[in-house]
Formats: sequence, C-alpha cells, structure tokens
Amino acid sequence: MDEQTLISASKSGDGAALDELVRAHQGRVYGFAMRMCRNVEDAKDILQETFLGMIRSLREFREESKFSTWLYRIAANACLKKRRRGVHDPTPEQELSLDDLMPRPDAEGRKPEIPDWSEDAERALLRGELSERMETAIDKLPKEYKIVLVLRDVEGLSAEETAEAVGLSVAAVKSRLHRARVFVRRELTDYLTGERR
Amino acid sequence: MSDARKTHHPSHDGMPMTCRELFERLSDYVDGELSQELCEEIRKHMDGCDPCVNFAKTLKTTADLCRRLPSEPIPPEVAADLRSFLARHLPKPI
Repeated sequence: MDEQTLISASKSGDGAALDELVRAHQGRVYGFAMRMCRNVEDAKDILQETFLGMIRSLREFREESKFSTWLYRIAANACLKKRRRGVHDPTPEQELSLDDLMPRPDAEGRKPEIPDWSEDAERALLRGELSERMETAIDKLPKEYKIVLVLRDVEGLSAEETAEAVGLSVAAVKSRLHRARVFVRRELTDYLTGERR
Repeated sequence: MSDARKTHHPSHDGMPMTCRELFERLSDYVDGELSQELCEEIRKHMDGCDPCVNFAKTLKTTADLCRRLPSEPIPPEVAADLRSFLARHLPKPI
C-alpha cells in the first residue's frame, strides 16, 4: 500500500495498516531521537511518545503537508519537552552570536587567515576519524540550534519542512541554521588544524 | 527554487559587499537560496578575498559532513518494546 492509502486505512481503524505505518517510520524517528538525546533510554521514550502521539492525533493530520514532516513535529516537541522536564542538559539555553562566531582581523587589522581544510576533512572521514568529532561538535550546540541543524542538515528536511517541524518561521530557521553551522565549523577547524597552530 | 522565493538584499548604495555582509549570507549562498544578483555580488567579493572563499568552502563542507553522518538503526528490541508499549496504551492492539 502507498503511504496515502496506509494513512487513510489507519484513520479508519485498520490495525495492520497502522502497524505498517509505524514500521515505515520508526527507524527515522529513532535515528532522530538518538541524534538529539545521545542515549538509548531517552531515545526510546521519545520514540514511544512520538508514535503514541501520532496514533492519538492521526485523524487531525491534514494531508497538505508531508506525513514525515508532521511526524518530525511530534518528535521534535517530544525532544524539547524532555529537556524541560529537568533532564540533565549539558548545553543550557544560550544565544549563538554571529559577532562572536565571525573570524576577527589580526592586531594589525589584516583579514584573518582561514585555512581550507575540506580535503583534510574528507580524508579524516574516510579513515573513520571524523564522525565522532562531528557528533561531539553538534552535541555542544544549544538545543534550539541543534534541533534545526539536525533536521535540516542531518535528516535532510527542507528549510520549509524544518520550520513546520519546529514551529518557527523559515527566516528564523535559516538564522539558527547558519549560526549552528558556523559553530560546528569552528569546532571542526579547531580539530583539523589544531596541530598547525 | 524560483528566483521569486530567493533572498534579495542588495548591498548598501551599490558599494562592494564587505566580509561581514557576506558572512551573514553564506549559508543561504551555499544552499543556493540567494538571488542571482546577490550571488554575483558574493562572487565579485570572493574574487579578491581568499579568507571568504575558504570560509565558504569549509562551511559547505560542514553541511555536507552533517548529511553524511551515519544514522543509528533501530535495534530489534527497541522496535519490539515500541510495539508492546503501543499495545498497552491504545484501545485496540496493533
């Protein structure tokens, strides 16, 4: 059955269709939850809460937007709520300032030297050395920025889909995404060029 | 994306774009979400600015690396626990 048919059948109470709908999306939601929480128990909670929410509110799903985007919205809310319930959060809410993130001229006012480490990164990735570093860098992001980066760049949602999933304007998503990318880029720069300093 | 949806923010008074102005727009630039006019301004600036060229390249690489991060597959026991959980909490078992 195609997804639209599965959704219609599920709305009508077809248990087998609902089961198939859950199976079709559970991997995606789990991957997202793990990326956000970084531990299995919290990811399980988010997975369960997401699909319980999905099933309870499926009749309200309007098929104007993509089903996966709607599901990400439920999962994103679950991630952010989990934080507010007092779960230990190593990254307290903070604003990432572009002024703080922008490379500065040197003492003589000359433009900063910006190395191009793209090829080094590719080699490090192929050697299996970079993924953990990337995860660590992303984990350092304040949650409001991390969730936008994860949805847009890791999960591959468009800016519009990401905005829908997190309940922000597209402009706000783009602003947070840019700050998040620049932050992660700086972390990678420190790692990839640290020996040369 | 149609040009109508792309960002149009011409630089001030026709003056060349500064590094700061470019820096603010770089994610939109690497994502192909700027107007042709702005892209042309950025390219002109980059013609004489190696730091901005390298910053743009490494910013794009950062976004590309994010896309290539491996995803954690759902373990069978987690999927089974999900099923049990939904069966406990919903009126009809699935």
